[in-house]
Amino acid sequence: MSSLTSTPTTTRSTAPGTTGTGRLPQLPQPFKGMTWLVWRQHRAAFWTVLGASALAVAFIVFQRSQLHTAGYDSTSTGLRLMPILLGVFLGAPLFAGDLENGTAKLVVTQSASRTRWLTTKLALTALVVVVSTVALSVGFGWWWNLYDESTSAEWTSGATFNNTGPVPAALALFSVFGGVAIGVVLRRTLVAMAVTLGFTVVVQIAWSHFLAHFLLSLASVATITTNKGVPFQHVMPTLPPGAHQVNWSTPPYITGDGKLLGWSTCNEAQTEQAHDLCMKKADVVGWSVDYLPISQMNGLQWFSASILLALTAAVTVLLFFWGRKRLA
Amino acid sequence: MGDGMYAGESALEAHGLGMRYRRGWVLKDCSFRLPAGRICGLVGPNGAGKTTLLSIMAHVLEPTEGRLSVFGAAPGSVDSGRTSFLAQDKPLFRRFTVAEILRLGQELNPGWDQRAAEDIVRAGNVPFDAKVGSLSGGQRTRVALALALGKHPDLLLLDEPMSDLDPVARQELMGALLAEAAEHGTTVLMSTHVLAELENVCDYLVVLSGGGVRLAGDVDELLSVHTMVTGTKDGEGLPVSLAHHPLVESRISGRQFTALIRPDSPATGPWETDSPSMEELLLAYLRSPDAPSLITPTAQVQDQAYNTRTVAA
Repeated sequence: MSSLTSTPTTTRSTAPGTTGTGRLPQLPQPFKGMTWLVWRQHRAAFWTVLGASALAVAFIVFQRSQLHTAGYDSTSTGLRLMPILLGVFLGAPLFAGDLENGTAKLVVTQSASRTRWLTTKLALTALVVVVSTVALSVGFGWWWNLYDESTSAEWTSGATFNNTGPVPAALALFSVFGGVAIGVVLRRTLVAMAVTLGFTVVVQIAWSHFLAHFLLSLASVATITTNKGVPFQHVMPTLPPGAHQVNWSTPPYITGDGKLLGWSTCNEAQTEQAHDLCMKKADVVGWSVDYLPISQMNGLQWFSASILLALTAAVTVLLFFWGRKRLA
Repeated sequence: MGDGMYAGESALEAHGLGMRYRRGWVLKDCSFRLPAGRICGLVGPNGAGKTTLLSIMAHVLEPTEGRLSVFGAAPGSVDSGRTSFLAQDKPLFRRFTVAEILRLGQELNPGWDQRAAEDIVRAGNVPFDAKVGSLSGGQRTRVALALALGKHPDLLLLDEPMSDLDPVARQELMGALLAEAAEHGTTVLMSTHVLAELENVCDYLVVLSGGGVRLAGDVDELLSVHTMVTGTKDGEGLPVSLAHHPLVESRISGRQFTALIRPDSPATGPWETDSPSMEELLLAYLRSPDAPSLITPTAQVQDQAYNTRTVAA
């Protein structure tokens, strides 16, 4: 090997960064092989995601343990932005950076296969995304229990449904893997980030519509009925905690023979006596209110999460069978 | 040495390689063979397809058509540890330290020789704890070369390796490269623009032009079959008695003519003959794209045998 050090200026013993034996000191590292490379390359991004999530979880846990609800709304908004941020800053540059800088060529010409490179990058990224979103989801879910008791927030709202249970992890994974695929197609970091921003925002909007207009129609409706009459002040029966009242336009009054009457019934009555008389004449015996009980939440969350995960799996298959060829 | 090498192992065999991008064909019907253990210069004008050809060999790109075998196997199919590729822009992770770049080589390559790689870096006094982004062009190239050579590749593909170096660093790195190649019997395929650089380095040549192979073979053999003829012009153009020799290029200045021919028989006449230098040979072929291409027997792929084998398979 001495033939390689042909320059007279070679000073082996004083070369910087070396030990007395002339070998580089081996730094202790938890990872080996491709995992080491991927972690080393993206460690700043990974630590940022994990650190920011840990801070947010700590804040949530602290507020919850103090039985505070201050900051709940802004936290829930922040959590809903998380898939967008992860997609843009973690997903889009994952391969676009390597394709733009040429380092993809460097990696694929080493002895490890590109399948291995793709797998390791996707797996580590998915791990970071899942760990941080699940921690936040569990913490936020715990906080929501408190908030729910104090303000009766509905479980069907996006702020609750999309931020608890398995949904945040599934939404984030789909956004991030979508960003990865966009990066592989466009091969330019900034362009990929901009397009991914559009993609993730569209995913959020489409998801809200999907939740409101399709998903909730799958839930079985429960009805609460009363037979103690309807008071003038319109005090409706109390729904179970967290329940979502379905469609305020449904007729709320039930008659003795089970017919439903609309809100306008006896609206023209000016006094309490006139109102009671009118109600009696219409044979209104009580309220009938449709609602989605909170017991449906868990099943619907897993169902919708599995739809998102299936989409994520489709993107992953696309990356392996078509994107792999473009990774250089 | 040509005959002895012919029987030997092929480092590379290209069978009708073609590559089409959206703007059209960059490589078309490229066939040649590079015997193992050679230092081969890959020469051609800009846009001739040199980078594309090297990228296909390094398994970075897949050819649109044709087949390539590296030591008898498709690139990347058996053990990509046998091939190292140094791309033209020397891509390295800018935020890694030099030591981490070598660590990358160690983590991703089973046969990694850490000492060899460290020695190359150390010979250039490149600090191991420096970030790659802070290195000069020469230092970067040296680190990239250390990464390429630390694998102890059997085939080393270099795309304009010395283009951004000063003459001293260029000579020094080329020395390190050739020493490594000589010690391990590495086959080297190196593209370059600097023809003079090839003169004392290469013993094999491939000239690409217009997406095809114009010239391929052992340097001594290529030089020996060409003759440089210089004489006094006699009437219009070249002397008639020269016309039956295949002509590569002729130039006339004043009353003098100079011609590079590929004589079938000794070209005797009222003129001086000389064997061309490598640079003269290359320039002549690069300047005349219509000259008949020449692929010497050692550089020819045995297409017949190849076809029979595929039919049988």
